[in-house]
Amino acid sequence: MPSNVPHRQRLLYLHATTPNVFSKILAYNLIEPVTGFRTEIKAETPDWPYDTVHDAVVDGWQVIQFPHSQAPFDDKDLDVIGYEFILQKIEIIQ
Amino acid sequence: MSPNTHLLTDLEVARFIVNGYHMVELDLPDGVHEHIAEQLDALTSNPGDGITDTVPELRQVLEANAVTGALTSLLGAEYTVGPHRHWHCKEPHTGTLHWHQDATNNRDSRIVRCLGLYYPRTVTPDMGPTMIVPGTHFRNAPTDRMATYTNIRGQIPLAVKAGTIAFTHFDLWHGTAANRSNIKRHMVKFSFSRSKDNTSPTWNHDPANLNDHRNWNLREKAATVGDILTFANPLGVSQSDHYKERAIRNQCWNDLMGSSIPTPLD
Repeated sequence: MPSNVPHRQRLLYLHATTPNVFSKILAYNLIEPVTGFRTEIKAETPDWPYDTVHDAVVDGWQVIQFPHSQAPFDDKDLDVIGYEFILQKIEIIQ
Repeated sequence: MSPNTHLLTDLEVARFIVNGYHMVELDLPDGVHEHIAEQLDALTSNPGDGITDTVPELRQVLEANAVTGALTSLLGAEYTVGPHRHWHCKEPHTGTLHWHQDATNNRDSRIVRCLGLYYPRTVTPDMGPTMIVPGTHFRNAPTDRMATYTNIRGQIPLAVKAGTIAFTHFDLWHGTAANRSNIKRHMVKFSFSRSKDNTSPTWNHDPANLNDHRNWNLREKAATVGDILTFANPLGVSQSDHYKERAIRNQCWNDLMGSSIPTPLD
């Protein structure tokens, strides 16, 4: 990429069933680097961009944070949904 | 307990334990829901807890047999109606309200608090319906920890017919979609609490419903108390989480049955 062209970081939060990148995605949250952009919960059935984290990686997303599987663990209680992967794409945004 | 023909069934209670919500379409006299909606349309400020004084017909909602029956079933015959209630007006052309709970998270295997979300006007998907995520109510996850979620598999809009009240477990994750319409979407929220633990079922319980064996062929499609509590997985979570869900549901069912009665689960 030419260095004088502004590039921006697109972010994708994917919550997967397990820490395995091939496990099914339970939640997604795409954040575009555009002023005024807001995420939106869809009343209509949303389009799921990927079924797994691996699908997103194949499409060019790079994982920048993996879930912390060694965090404190309780085998009787439940907390958040799934395991959070954070991915990025550095792209020219017009 | 006074007779109430609107008590929930075993299956309805089991589904509430699994999903964290139960919907009722109220059969009030003609025009009541419409008149309530018109009065809410005309409000210029939010009366907060005084909404039932401002719109007295809302008391008919609290007194409806279908409401007292559902609440007796879920919270016991001596449930209490909280003083807090609130009119939520989703104005036209307003955006998403993100996932949250209404207070601190109080994870408990018992059902101790419920919300009643009453909609006097039909809500369509473009009117900013309340969004809920069935199966999240037993998660020990305060609102801050929901902040990186937007769309969650299994989320559903409460796009409902006029006069519907949705009873939700207090800890159920909820938010709203955007209102893209030109119509105000009204919801009046009530809160209800349990005052005593159950010593016996407070719904329309039939012990015969607990005799069915698990059907491993039908699994989630089966419609028995045991299969619903055992197999239902509305979020599609991992095996580890699902096993934990089962244990919590089992405890919840036992609490509702009264502790001396054995579990229906294998």
